[in-house]
Amino acid sequence: MAPRNAPPLVTGVSPKEGPPGTRITIRGENFGDDPRDLIGLKICGMDCLLSAEWKSSSKIIARTGPGKGKGDIIPVTRNGGKGSCTVGFRGYFLQIGPLQESAIWIDESQTVRPNLDHGRPSAAIAAKEEEDPLAILDESDKPKLTEEELLEMFPEASGNMSLENFSPGWYLLEHHQNGSFDDLKAGLNFMKRKASQRSEGPITIVRSNLTAILDCLDSLSGMYEKYKEDDIRGNCMNSYAVLLMQAKSCADGLFQEVLGRKDKADSTRNALSVIQKFRFLFHLPLNIQRNIQKGDYNMVINDYEKAKSLFADTEIQVFRKVYKEVERRIANFRDMLHKRLRDPHNTLDEQKKLIRYLVSLEYKGDPAWECLDNQQKWLIELLDDCKDDRIEEEKNSLQGENLAASQNSLQWKPIARVSKSPTKGGISRESSFSSLSSNDQQAWKFRTPQKVLFVEDLTELMLQNFPDFWKLGQSYFTREKSEKGVKIDTSKHGKMKQMMTEVISLFANFVRAAFLPESLENLPEAEREKFGKWPTPSKQEHVSGTWLPACVRNIRNCANSLSALDSHGDTMIVLNELAFDMRTNCMFSLLKQAIADVKSLHAKETWVVETDDELGGTTQLPALFENIVNEAIQHLHEVVVMTRPSEPEIFSQRPIQKEATTLCSQLLQAFSHCMEQLVFSPPLHKTESKHSVKIIIGQDMELDQMEDPIPSMDKRLIIMLSNCNHTLHIVVPRIIENLTKHGYVEMEKALKAAQETYQELDQRLFSSYIEQKSDPILGAMEPNMYRGGFNWKTWKNPSGVRNYLKEIIMSVIEVHAEVYSISPKFVLRVMRKITESVCEEMCRLIQCVPDFNASGAIQARLELEALRTTVRIYSTDHIESCFKEAFECIPELSDEGKRVVRKLLENTQSSMKIQLMCFHDDALPAPVKLNTHADSSC
Amino acid sequence: MSSSTPSCFLLNTAMSKAKTQQPAVIHKVIMVGSGGVGKSALTLQFMYDEFVEDYEPTKADSYRKKVVLDGEEVQIDILDTAGQEDYAAIRDNYFRSGEGFLCVFSIKEQESFQATQDFREQILRVKNDENIPFLLVGNMVDLAEQRQVSVDEATKRAQEWKVSYVETSAKTRANVDKVFYDLMREIRSRKMEASRQNNGKQKKKKDSRKKKCVIL
Repeated sequence: MAPRNAPPLVTGVSPKEGPPGTRITIRGENFGDDPRDLIGLKICGMDCLLSAEWKSSSKIIARTGPGKGKGDIIPVTRNGGKGSCTVGFRGYFLQIGPLQESAIWIDESQTVRPNLDHGRPSAAIAAKEEEDPLAILDESDKPKLTEEELLEMFPEASGNMSLENFSPGWYLLEHHQNGSFDDLKAGLNFMKRKASQRSEGPITIVRSNLTAILDCLDSLSGMYEKYKEDDIRGNCMNSYAVLLMQAKSCADGLFQEVLGRKDKADSTRNALSVIQKFRFLFHLPLNIQRNIQKGDYNMVINDYEKAKSLFADTEIQVFRKVYKEVERRIANFRDMLHKRLRDPHNTLDEQKKLIRYLVSLEYKGDPAWECLDNQQKWLIELLDDCKDDRIEEEKNSLQGENLAASQNSLQWKPIARVSKSPTKGGISRESSFSSLSSNDQQAWKFRTPQKVLFVEDLTELMLQNFPDFWKLGQSYFTREKSEKGVKIDTSKHGKMKQMMTEVISLFANFVRAAFLPESLENLPEAEREKFGKWPTPSKQEHVSGTWLPACVRNIRNCANSLSALDSHGDTMIVLNELAFDMRTNCMFSLLKQAIADVKSLHAKETWVVETDDELGGTTQLPALFENIVNEAIQHLHEVVVMTRPSEPEIFSQRPIQKEATTLCSQLLQAFSHCMEQLVFSPPLHKTESKHSVKIIIGQDMELDQMEDPIPSMDKRLIIMLSNCNHTLHIVVPRIIENLTKHGYVEMEKALKAAQETYQELDQRLFSSYIEQKSDPILGAMEPNMYRGGFNWKTWKNPSGVRNYLKEIIMSVIEVHAEVYSISPKFVLRVMRKITESVCEEMCRLIQCVPDFNASGAIQARLELEALRTTVRIYSTDHIESCFKEAFECIPELSDEGKRVVRKLLENTQSSMKIQLMCFHDDALPAPVKLNTHADSSC
Repeated sequence: MSSSTPSCFLLNTAMSKAKTQQPAVIHKVIMVGSGGVGKSALTLQFMYDEFVEDYEPTKADSYRKKVVLDGEEVQIDILDTAGQEDYAAIRDNYFRSGEGFLCVFSIKEQESFQATQDFREQILRVKNDENIPFLLVGNMVDLAEQRQVSVDEATKRAQEWKVSYVETSAKTRANVDKVFYDLMREIRSRKMEASRQNNGKQKKKKDSRKKKCVIL
């Protein structure tokens, strides 16, 4: 704050004097560069910074404070510090006379004497005040001391003799500064003389005018005497009085009319002013009407409240009348509000508002409670209506369906079924619905189950209306708590809860009646009737699994959002239980449906084998099976497994867990049944269905239909064997993994059961296949061996391997080709089994021969050897031992014989080279090779 | 506060007094003339080199600043009075303290010129001095096209009164400094004359006083 610039200097003031509050313009220099630079301003010692208005560095406008007398104007600036001035301001207080107007209050005790009547003598004295009471002539041209200097010397004093603060010193200095002491003494004497003259004045007048005064006295007493005489002689005063009275009555008569009019006018004016003054009340009825129409209810209530506090117990007739009218309107208003409150379509806010209005209008009773009651009833009614409507429609639709079914049973039932069995596995059931919908709108309508619509409607109703209801109830209690702590009614609390529970359980029971009728079985019949009896359709389960998740989702959403209202209360337990039950029901239904679907899968077998390098050939069936299971899991995932925070884990309950596991394993095993059925009792295609298929599926299918879709038994066997294997090793583990991933428990058990099932099936299929294959070969062996009267004893010319053996080998090759075409994986397994039985039979046949001649021995050895070398790669210990035993039965050959055998064996092998190749190197099965094989074998 | 303020106040006045007393000579100039002729405009132009366009009737303004008059530092104290007749009664008081007068009229307003006569008389009555420093100033010469008072007319009156007549313009600052400095010179010479007389006059005064006493 060190002042850097020159200090401010005031050189001009306009005006230079004035009463407090004068607006003055201060001019000078160095007042700073902006308004903030001015940090102080004193005028006559009074701080005036507040009123100061910085205009420029040379100009400030301010208002003076209550400073009195001449004083400096001192500005202070930030940079210049404290300033000085060459001019000053003189503050004075206006002396306002008794007859002058003034905007401010004047303290008159100083200037105006209380006895104004006696003001005259003093005024006279003041008027008589001489210019120079001391009679000393002042010879100097002008007084040396100016007024300002005197003011400084005698603050609060004055040189005016007529004022109270008259200071003799001031006066003498002002007027007789140069007078000598003697002069002043002489002046004093003069003044004394003058004063004494003044007090003697009246006496001298009396003295000089004595005679005249006495004359006056005389005539006065004479007059007095005369009056006295008059008074004694007659009472002239009375007659005056009479005359006066007469004059008065006359005057009254003259002015009566005018006065009457004036009175009337006065009273009218009074009445008008009363009306004006209380126009609020008089306009109130109209205003109430208008505001009600405008919907400005708050205004109405405020007005009414005001009127009530002002006029409720008024005694005045008119007010009472108007007030009554007001009351009447308010009562109407109240009724109207009440009626509106009863309308359940209001929103929560509206209801709250209405209740508030009613409460503030002192409605008798408890509007909020009424509203709650009303709301609850309405809600129940809504739910009830919804239920009735839906049941009605369901019945109708059932009838309609039956009707339609009876009418075009030939037409659209098959359509539905066929389209439900899509030819390509990828098509989901839902899409099949939609494809149907495009075909048949009517059918679509029927297919959206009424129960689903019912649940949707019901939850929507609940979600829309219940939260409001709940909030209203909550605010009802909180309001009562906050407003009138005494009035809180605990019984109502209970009742409220009961009402809530009633609505909730009604809702829950409706849903249960629709979806879980079993859960209501322990209720009395009459009560169950109330919740709605859904007609049980004779056909399969009516609400298909597809719809269930949606329903469950609805219910859960509803339960969730409603429980959010009352996070710790127990009202929503019913709802949560319902949601839980729905979930389990949904899960079971879906799983059951999946099982059913899987079981009916056999209808979808197309017997088209798709070969895969790794997995071998399979049909689409395992894929379809997996699809169904995965789909079910997918459907269930959201509904069942994903648990929301407030909900219990679905697998937390032991029975449900058990049931779920059982269903899962059933689901897994269902496929085996399906496959078995396919193999042993394939469905017979109906010609009519084929027609429909053609119509719907189109050109592609037609080609497939040309050849017989159902292959022979052994082919079926090997296909199913492959499928079974595929299912066992790939599909089932995959499904199990998926299930476990989705939170299903105890899947090991299911896996084990499924594995057992499939292994068993595998075994069965395998053995029957082997049986199927080896039986004809084995059966043909013996007759063929001895065909054409062949006898080991009489055989002459062993020229080579005989045809029967070639035939056997060819049959084995045929089996090999068949298996290989389906699944190369099984080749070893099947071939081993087949060769084993073939070799066994061969050996048995050789062993049964009682006797050989030399050629016969050669022939037998040759054939055994040929067989042995051919099937060497499938050879087992058992086969080897069989061959050994067989060889032992044949007599030893000569060297010549051995040579012949070797030669003939070579011949045979070279002639059957191509055929035998498939026994050579099975480790490297090339598809091209396979094809040539198959061709050659055929 | 209440205890410190008075002492502070006294100190201030003492200080300001000390300052103001340094250039000992103060020439007290009083602006007279009808309302709206430009007394304040002349004053503000002289004091602050600014021309105020908007008219605001003056009551009584006071200005004082240091000026250099012929090489001597003096102070000029200007009392700008009200021209309106409302304030005529208090003029006497103001005139009493004046040492020199600038009697201003507007050359485009005849009435203001006529009013100078009254002002002249009032000044002479109050000061009781025929030779009081006095300048007749015809203002607003920048608006010469609206002139109502001719130079001759004014000069004639000035000659009657034995004063000089100057035409000014507060707007263009023409002759503004001249009128103030001329007046100050007159005041100064008048004061010097008075002090010269004072030395010889002292006795005469006493005589006259004695005479008066005798009369009484």
